[in-house]
Amino acid sequence: MTRNAEAVLIAAVATLASIGVAMVQFAGGTWLDADVALTFIAFAFTFGLIHLAFRAWAPNANPLILPIAGFLAAVGFIEVFRIDPSLAALQRWWLAIAGISAALVVWLLRDSGVAVLRRYRYLFLAAAIGLLLLPLLPESWPIHGAVVNGSRLWVRVTVPFTDIDLSFQPGEVAKVLLTIFLASYLADRSEAMATVSRSIGPIRLPEPRHLGPVLVAAGAAFLVLMYQRDLGASLLLFALFIGMLYAATGRGVYVVSGLVAVVVAGVVAYQQFAHVRVRISAWLDPFADFTGAGYQTAQGLFAMGSGSLTGSGLGLGRPDLIPEATTDFVFAAVGEELGLAGSIAVITAYALFVTVGIGIALRCRDRFRKYLAGGLTILVGIQAFLIIAGVVRVLPITGLTTPLMSYGGSSLLASALILALLGRASHEERV
Amino acid sequence: MPALILNALKILFLLLLFLFLWQIAGAIRVHIGGRGSAPRGKGATELVVLRGDVTKGKRVKLRGSGHTVGRSPDADIIIDDPYASDFHARVSAENGQTRVEDLGSTNGTYVNGRRITAPTGVVKGDTVQIGKTMLEIR
Repeated sequence: MTRNAEAVLIAAVATLASIGVAMVQFAGGTWLDADVALTFIAFAFTFGLIHLAFRAWAPNANPLILPIAGFLAAVGFIEVFRIDPSLAALQRWWLAIAGISAALVVWLLRDSGVAVLRRYRYLFLAAAIGLLLLPLLPESWPIHGAVVNGSRLWVRVTVPFTDIDLSFQPGEVAKVLLTIFLASYLADRSEAMATVSRSIGPIRLPEPRHLGPVLVAAGAAFLVLMYQRDLGASLLLFALFIGMLYAATGRGVYVVSGLVAVVVAGVVAYQQFAHVRVRISAWLDPFADFTGAGYQTAQGLFAMGSGSLTGSGLGLGRPDLIPEATTDFVFAAVGEELGLAGSIAVITAYALFVTVGIGIALRCRDRFRKYLAGGLTILVGIQAFLIIAGVVRVLPITGLTTPLMSYGGSSLLASALILALLGRASHEERV
Repeated sequence: MPALILNALKILFLLLLFLFLWQIAGAIRVHIGGRGSAPRGKGATELVVLRGDVTKGKRVKLRGSGHTVGRSPDADIIIDDPYASDFHARVSAENGQTRVEDLGSTNGTYVNGRRITAPTGVVKGDTVQIGKTMLEIR
């Protein structure tokens, strides 16, 4: 595999995306229009730009991450286009912005490498917590929080002297910054944390002063998210934290105690918060409250059920009936129009992404790079798992975006950062 | 639009998706050093060091008199491995039969992960582990 092969695969991704768009239009009876060409241009520009940045400043970067990410973005984009072409038009701009940002990150790290991030870990921690707190700003301020679907996750900025509102979800980027912090912290302390200093019965714990700061950091982020009622993000963050601790120390006790903590927290949350109870009952029996809490899950199930093995065909189903079909439930939309086959293709693509990402991490000799690559991969993998598991009713709905596939600028921007950092980390390993 | 055409298009598109993933999966296999390109079997001609530090003989053509592998500067294939003995093992090819023999090493010689006690026949694709060094018959 070379950079040239990467370029060919990226061209294939752009072609796939535009073929999908063409098929949606074809099925809808409209003859092909500029959307097909614009889609090709958007994908070729976005991933081509990151590809060129890799060529220029990270020539030994792993050549497979971009094509896999592009594939997921393409499948997601086709469904977004099918449900709402005007949203897709915006998504093309988000793609372009994400591409530019990723290229910019690769350029910024051209001389210093990702190692420079290690030094500023507390800056990243502060920035992440700050971003997570942004949605709590009062409504009267020019930058203020906004409640969407019962969770206070959004920030709206009113551009001065105009009526234009820009909104974004700062939590998406905060996750990536937190991963950088954790990787940096663990790179310095992993040995100390793997050694056992005291035992409470069968449980053996490391020295508290090593675990302290990282617990405080995770706890703070966790509390903010709980306060904002963002169950998905708190769960994701917790899983990331446990996954990275395990990766850094190789001690299963972290995984076991993490799982126990999740169960305990789940039971407590179930008893304390009404919105958690609603989610759980909608999970156990979505048809009990079909028109209410269970509606989204039930519609998703109907969609995937009617999709059957090969789906209704692009543009021939009714994924627009599923609430949030362009973001959280984009997987159900794929299940309806491309069937089980398409769903398996999507899951396979995520699995390949994780394979490549973990492969990069395993190859890294430097601890920080290793944990960074591993953490970012865990982040994408767990997020995809949590939301897809929610859609197919393996877990309760957690309300996360589907990485790379969902409509949304914040989510794409976060993914672009991950691609840039993974690419750069793999490049440095092979120099 | 006739349903038949739409159905055919749908299947075609799904095939395209899987074709793409197939390409990627194949590339990953090559990347992580799968044995896809070197089939097992007869006709072994080479001894290649897959993993470990080699001072001499990263890749040698097998010969009848055989090669000794070890840390000694006089070995045919010199590996820099603290777990290897001076003359650790010999790999020889006689009458089209490739054999690995342990030369009384401290830590043993492993063929496909199993420690050998007597000269052992190997075929193309087998791995030979000496200390922490991994060799493959090709």
